[in-house]
Amino acid sequence: MLAYTLRRIAQLVPVLLVLSMAVFAFVEALPGSIVDTLIGTEGGDIEEARAILTKEYGLDRPVHERYVLWLGRALQGDFGKSLVTRRPISTELLSRIPATVYLASVGIVLSMLIAVPLGTFAAVRRNSAVDYTAQVTSLAGISIPEFWFAILCVLLFSLYLGWLPSSGYVSPFEDFWGSLQFLILPAAAIGFRQAAFTTRLTRSSMLDELSKEYVDTARALGHSERKVIFKYTLRNAMIPTITISGLQLANLLGGTVVLESIFAWPGIGRAIFEAILQRDYPLIQAGVLVLGFIVVVMNLLVDLTYRLLNPRVKFA
Amino acid sequence: MSELEADKLVDGTLAWRAPPAPLRSRRLATALSNAWHELRKSRTASIGAVMLVLLFGACIGTPWLATHDPIKQNYRERLQPPSEKHLLGTDRLGRDIYSRLLYGGRRLVTIAVVAVVLSLAVGVPFGVLTGYFGGLADTIGMRIVDGLLAFPGLLLYLLFVTVAQAWKLEGVMIDLVLVSALALAGMPEKARLARGSVLAEKQKEYVEASRAVGDAPVNIALSQVLPNIVSPLIVTATVRLGFVILIVAALSFLGLGTPPPTPDWGADLSAARDYMETHPLIAAFPGLAICYTVLAFNLFGDGLRDILDPRLAER
Amino acid sequence: MIDEAIKKGPERTRRNFLKATTALAGAAVAGLPATGPAVADARKRNPKRGGTLRFGTRDDSVGLDTHRNIIYFVSHPLTGITGGLVDFDDKMEPKPAIAESWDASADLKTWTFKLKRGAEFHNGETIDAQAVKWNIERIKDPKMSHAFTRSVVSGVERVTVDDKYTVRFHLKEPDVALDINLIYYPVNLMAPGAADKADTEPVNCGPFKFKSWRRLDRCELVRFENFYETDAEGNSLPYLDGLIGLPKKEDRVRLTALRTGELDLIDNVAYADAPAFKKDHGKTFETWPVPQVGTAMMFFNLKNGLLSDKDNPDAHLLRQAIAHAIDREGIHQAVFNGIGSIANGFYSAASPWHPKDIEPSSKFDPDKAKALRKKAKGGDERLTIIANDTFPYMHQSGELVHAMLKDAGFNVVLEILPSPVMLDKQTKGDFNIDSTANSYRLDPDGWFGRNILSSAPENRRRIGYKNEKADQIILAARQERDRAKRRQMYADVETLVNRDLPMLYTHYVPLLMAGNRARVKGYLPSFSGPWSYTGAGMRRTWIEG
Repeated sequence: MLAYTLRRIAQLVPVLLVLSMAVFAFVEALPGSIVDTLIGTEGGDIEEARAILTKEYGLDRPVHERYVLWLGRALQGDFGKSLVTRRPISTELLSRIPATVYLASVGIVLSMLIAVPLGTFAAVRRNSAVDYTAQVTSLAGISIPEFWFAILCVLLFSLYLGWLPSSGYVSPFEDFWGSLQFLILPAAAIGFRQAAFTTRLTRSSMLDELSKEYVDTARALGHSERKVIFKYTLRNAMIPTITISGLQLANLLGGTVVLESIFAWPGIGRAIFEAILQRDYPLIQAGVLVLGFIVVVMNLLVDLTYRLLNPRVKFA
Repeated sequence: MSELEADKLVDGTLAWRAPPAPLRSRRLATALSNAWHELRKSRTASIGAVMLVLLFGACIGTPWLATHDPIKQNYRERLQPPSEKHLLGTDRLGRDIYSRLLYGGRRLVTIAVVAVVLSLAVGVPFGVLTGYFGGLADTIGMRIVDGLLAFPGLLLYLLFVTVAQAWKLEGVMIDLVLVSALALAGMPEKARLARGSVLAEKQKEYVEASRAVGDAPVNIALSQVLPNIVSPLIVTATVRLGFVILIVAALSFLGLGTPPPTPDWGADLSAARDYMETHPLIAAFPGLAICYTVLAFNLFGDGLRDILDPRLAER
Repeated sequence: MIDEAIKKGPERTRRNFLKATTALAGAAVAGLPATGPAVADARKRNPKRGGTLRFGTRDDSVGLDTHRNIIYFVSHPLTGITGGLVDFDDKMEPKPAIAESWDASADLKTWTFKLKRGAEFHNGETIDAQAVKWNIERIKDPKMSHAFTRSVVSGVERVTVDDKYTVRFHLKEPDVALDINLIYYPVNLMAPGAADKADTEPVNCGPFKFKSWRRLDRCELVRFENFYETDAEGNSLPYLDGLIGLPKKEDRVRLTALRTGELDLIDNVAYADAPAFKKDHGKTFETWPVPQVGTAMMFFNLKNGLLSDKDNPDAHLLRQAIAHAIDREGIHQAVFNGIGSIANGFYSAASPWHPKDIEPSSKFDPDKAKALRKKAKGGDERLTIIANDTFPYMHQSGELVHAMLKDAGFNVVLEILPSPVMLDKQTKGDFNIDSTANSYRLDPDGWFGRNILSSAPENRRRIGYKNEKADQIILAARQERDRAKRRQMYADVETLVNRDLPMLYTHYVPLLMAGNRARVKGYLPSFSGPWSYTGAGMRRTWIEG
């Protein structure tokens, strides 16, 4: 196990390098220079200002030099300054990551709280009304566009009923209970879709487990149905569920762009999206790299956890 | 991560399991005709199939089914409710919503189908070959796949599409870039699926036998192994189609699809947000269209899975 | 113009009055008994001081350094901290601020400003002539300032300090409107002693002090206790304890936040929502229409390409064809939802600079458009429209115009782009039509002198228009002191513009501000949108309940 872990960690490095190079390359391919925006639309000595700014942001050096320079600094945690706000990117990014993590994790947890019981019940009581309902709603849940669902929620809960604020964010560290009311709608939007997903997963893994031989054996041995379900099958079925949810969480971290826009949530997905629109090169690069790093590490953790939990799997 | 990926679900259900013995050794044609009979046994698959037929029919028949030019504006007939003249009413610029839905759907479904087919065409051979040859090729191949998967969420698409727009690409070219991005992002899943099954099949006797006889490894890989992964691939592909549609809709919702006035469900939905309270139908129709389409693919995919893995379907 | 601007007499009287009343008030508090009805009246007129107003805006500043960044005085909450030499009133006429009086030499090349005594920056530093000089020099330095801000003082050759409270501006050319150019937007004054913190904790001299700022999230300002301005009763302004800016880009999101009580005031109600909003929610929410925050127009690329006279002998015919193909009533309905009015010139009827009797630029005539297009050389070639994606009315107008031109048979394509790409394309001339808008200029030279005058850098960069007669008039108007004559001169220029068609004015851009009736008291925006100005506005607003 240890050797495998170390090997996998070593393999992280080339992946991240390739990722960083890919991001750098993309950004280079964009026409439209941020320097032009900074110069603005008027002013006498445009060329002089342009020269000064080009120098300051190092845009006059050749590509590979800039890449190496950037990478070196990045490894020390210095991502440079945002071209747009001129503030250090590390603080900008770091300040946005918590919001996304908060939203994504609450969404996943919420979804699991609903999905696991529902999926289990549906699998155990196969073809019952509950099973049918679970299947239909979870099918609907993965078919409805997230952003549409979010907008409908806002219309209903915010405008018509007035129960919840329509957008905005308060940090849970500043005001825990206050932050909850801003959290509910976006987390519900995420949670609904994730719950649909996880319900189906739980149901099918449970069905799978229940069809295995050891279940019949356990029943024949006289174990109570409850014991069979909770002690044996559920635990086994949870392995893929939990690990896949871990992967989902990793994916969510970058995929919340749309919801963050709708709910004015100051998360990292939206920060990168806006940076892309504004050609804020350093921020795009740093953001995607950081997120990519988190995703890759989380994937690795999930994989290791899976192997830990599931001793039957060989280490390839 | 190989086994995990092989188990990895696409939409919440385990995408592939080793099929029970009887189905495995049949040839493709027999398998397909069996499938047709099986299809009718599953209600979900049948419903899904009907919905899909309607969908594809509408896409193909769009030029005849549409009543208006989807981009013709008429500011005097803005925001009208459904009527005889405009079956689903008009949008904020006076354009016929029904026709826009048809043309938008056509484009969306085409993009999705091409993207998924492309990801299959690239991913499957990639997975089969790396799985078969193993060793260094396998390691490198899987690291490339990891690299692709490391791009979080929508960001890969954002980058691609922004570059496309910035390069002054128009119309079809932007769509092509989008398709490439989607294919690239969907490739790892199919590659892993293929590779997983190759790894499992590699141990089987008939592979050993073929090798002993002297068949070229590549032939073995493609001809012996491929037919056995067709079923799970079809299921994966079908469900992936639904996903791709949601992704494309989300991208155009964010403003990164083709520029106006091309009909586009996501963009139309976004534009209708301003009028959600006063004219909710304008936003309802594109949203419902997206739901219908994705649901159709998901239902069909579910049904297929039930058929191909009878252990889940029976009892 | 100057005659109205110099308010020596009344200003001094007011200050003396203030000193007197404050003394009396002090005496009253000290010992004189208050009679019943007089006290009640006093309480009715003196607003309840205090409260913190939550202001939702569509935009936010890019950075905190107020010289390096544009702190737009309509939609950026940070405006509250900015102050300058000159202020303006609700009619957008210049008024004293840090400068209590000023006058110009006969040749309009030397301007002398006398500063208020005792005015302070937020950190207690005195605002004296030396500080003003330092500020102007910083603004003129390309490394320290935004090009727009710099361009406003580009005519200033040097600044001299006559004595502690007297500053003299020496201009390169005569300019009748220097005082307007020195209003606090964008020529604001920051404390020299705090220059090193300009990017993190700005210290300026406006009615509010900086507390904290998270871009596009939350901006907190608190009252500056030593702000120089007072109301008629001698109460110091502003009344508000604090101002919290909560930028929300999307109109819908902002409006919803107002309706659910998360915001007290917003800077714009989307045009789509405006008519219904007034009808359905007029009881709970007060609305203030801002007739003209700017003007929307189509810029034509005269530097190169199909619509440029240099490259195409029939360019003018084509531009006329385009003008005839555009139905501005359609823009009025579909983009602005029937709010505001169609534009034939830069200034609307709400503005004191509205020109009388100018020829309208064009009439919607699709047949004529088609005929002209067929006749003109290049009528079948590809035309590119570009539009900025940040402002809905810009790209929505672009969509409409695209469809209208297509109907007239033009081979036209639309590109909706983010700001940096727009800038690039504009500078390179990589477009034919630019669906854009410009914000209201307090002085006409701010518009004509920058966008119509052939030697102006902005004109050269974006349009490339040259009309010698117009140039003559604009240069002469810079030296014309008579307001009425000046107005007519600019009207003549507009006639030329509408004939040559370097641009087509389409529509005035209105805003509709809205606020919670129960809470927001005493608020009134100026007619072109800015909310911090002398005599009214945010400085005299208070929160109840």
